[in-house]
Amino acid sequence: MQCTYCEWRCDLSDGRLGVCRMYIEEGGSIRERFPYRWSSCIPSRVESVPFYHAWPGSRCLVIGTAGCNFRCRYCSNSFVAKQDPATIQDGMIELTPEELIRKARQLGCHSIVFNVNEPAMSLPSLEVVAGEARAAGLPMGCLTNAYATEESTELLGSIFSFFNVGLKGLSDDFNREYIGIPSAAPVLRNIRRLASLGHVEVTTPVIEAANDGELGEIARFIADVNPEIPWHVFRLLPEDEMKEARYPNIDAIAGALEEIRAFLPNVYFHNFVGSDWVNTLCPDCGTTVIERFSLGCGGDRLHSYNGQGNRCPSCGRQIRIHGEKVAWNAGEEKP
Amino acid sequence: MSLAIVDAREWQRMFDLRTGARVEGDNPLLRMVMEIQARRPYPGDLDDAGNRWVTDTALDLVAGYDPSFVFLTYARQFFIGRYSVLSGREWGEMVTSVFDEVSRFVALSGFTPVIVGTGGMMPFVDFIDVTHLHGLVLSTHWSARYSGLHDGSNRDLELLASLPEIERVVHRDEFRRLFSDCSGDDSRIPEYLLVARPGYMFRTVGGAFRKVRRVPAPAHSIPLHIGLRLGAAASITDVRALVSGHVRERKIALIVVEGLGVDDFPWPHLECRNGRDWFYYEPGDAQYLTLATGRHQVFEYPAGYKYFKEDAEKKEYPLSGYFTSVPQDTLVSGLGVRSIAVGNRSMLMHMVPGADISLECFARNLFNQGTMAVVRRMDKF
Ligand code: SF4
Repeated sequence: MQCTYCEWRCDLSDGRLGVCRMYIEEGGSIRERFPYRWSSCIPSRVESVPFYHAWPGSRCLVIGTAGCNFRCRYCSNSFVAKQDPATIQDGMIELTPEELIRKARQLGCHSIVFNVNEPAMSLPSLEVVAGEARAAGLPMGCLTNAYATEESTELLGSIFSFFNVGLKGLSDDFNREYIGIPSAAPVLRNIRRLASLGHVEVTTPVIEAANDGELGEIARFIADVNPEIPWHVFRLLPEDEMKEARYPNIDAIAGALEEIRAFLPNVYFHNFVGSDWVNTLCPDCGTTVIERFSLGCGGDRLHSYNGQGNRCPSCGRQIRIHGEKVAWNAGEEKP
Repeated sequence: MSLAIVDAREWQRMFDLRTGARVEGDNPLLRMVMEIQARRPYPGDLDDAGNRWVTDTALDLVAGYDPSFVFLTYARQFFIGRYSVLSGREWGEMVTSVFDEVSRFVALSGFTPVIVGTGGMMPFVDFIDVTHLHGLVLSTHWSARYSGLHDGSNRDLELLASLPEIERVVHRDEFRRLFSDCSGDDSRIPEYLLVARPGYMFRTVGGAFRKVRRVPAPAHSIPLHIGLRLGAAASITDVRALVSGHVRERKIALIVVEGLGVDDFPWPHLECRNGRDWFYYEPGDAQYLTLATGRHQVFEYPAGYKYFKEDAEKKEYPLSGYFTSVPQDTLVSGLGVRSIAVGNRSMLMHMVPGADISLECFARNLFNQGTMAVVRRMDKF
């Protein structure tokens, strides 16, 4: 029997495990091996995920599970994403969807964001969590590699309302060598679809001499979907199998991105401490609408929100924001 | 104004430490510090060269600034010990290698060492799962032994009292009484402090997921090596006076070696009290602050507090993690001598001893982001 959660479409017959090792076939249907087991359950600034244009300033509960359908050579979460999920279950937190929502409220969180690994690895659990979250008034977002099948992409669209999609590179050679997939075509297809279903931001980690030559082409693809999509260009932190790789040169990448800003205004460059390229500028008049401070991986924060509602304080232009600015401790007042 | 200089490899920026605002600065002292940062990229918390980086960087700063007091921290063995399976022989090699680095610094700098071990490590036994309580339990600062219970119910307390892995449940009033002679803002203390038995660790929401292999061992006493018979210290709170009493007559290096207790500390040492009654410090900010101030510092950023509530926009000291202010009256305040701090324990180096210049790794959850120098004083150069 074939698993249709992602484009690997693994054959799970006769007890076989797929690429992610997170699903099995049982009684004629595909089910999760480790439902409701979370590798992460931690409050975070939404900017740290990163989401720069969704619920700015808010606190979210970051959750994750185990397993991944990609094999990125530079994975920064390999201690969760690349391990055999069965071997790390003793470290997981087991919480029912009701308990998870309760923890989100106790921690004063405004939303729940799936991070760490790929949500397609845990879709049945996430579907149930989404039902509880909806009832509790907590929006849900996720980071995804968008390698889901078309059916699963629809499911992702029904679970989450805001997405940050990892678009790691375009060429087949790059995707085969660095990501372990034959092609980025399904990812491009799904970015278009998710952008029509909800709020989308895109993240691209730059690897010197591997995908830095594709930045212009990636930007043009995103602009073609919607020129206001925020694009996070990440300076790769060489980890895992690429530990010995060079750190990409910041000034060289920043120079390349300046030209891109002309047709893709919400472009950011970060994942290193103190980045100068984390503020939102009004695409029309250049006024700084949102100021942020970057502490590198997992540490970005809102510094000040200067917008009037979701408009530029100088010229009044609408800035593409999903939701609205939320005070950091707004959730503390909730019962 | 204290200046923070971030080096993210081949790229440097300067900030006002308090506000995080970009600033520009150029003088011989700043250039000297920035050149050292450019020359000494941090290899990473788990890298073989992690402790060598501390010695090399400190020697560069000693050569460039000529301080009379040096504060050093070597922490690589603590990170490795926490997350790796190590045989007794491998741990022994790790201890030898960190003391090789300590010796190298002492030999090449000529400083008189005062060396503190923060307490030993022991195999992780099991988690105490407190995620299903009605109240909220939080662990902070990598703590294994302590966590904080917020809004707990009577049923929670009954359940906790029945768990053999829990050594005690301490109401905040009881905790305040234990340290009733200590001043400081105690409003962050959680309603209940939960204390695990040795080897156990709380499984809580908010914890970072990495497989833990070893946790801090019981450390009612910690080892203290004092070079050249400078005197003695019976308690961790006496170390500050010991150092400051001699620093005008000789150059002193206070060296913190993480993860080593009285049983595996290889040099001659005294045993020094590391807390009070049932409470002992785990390696972390409270222990460092106590060393640096000479006063118990259990209230400032207590285990299990709701650290995230203070993380609102425009938080001051954005480069300093959960620290919301610069600790006052620390080791070098008022000494009038030049001082530096170097270590591979993020944040604590620039916040704790109050040195003129500090240089530390900028790592979060073992992710290597480069280095950060903080220059507080330029007038002594
Ligand atoms: S979700 Fe997992 S099992 Fe299913 S197709 Fe993808 S990799 Fe294979």
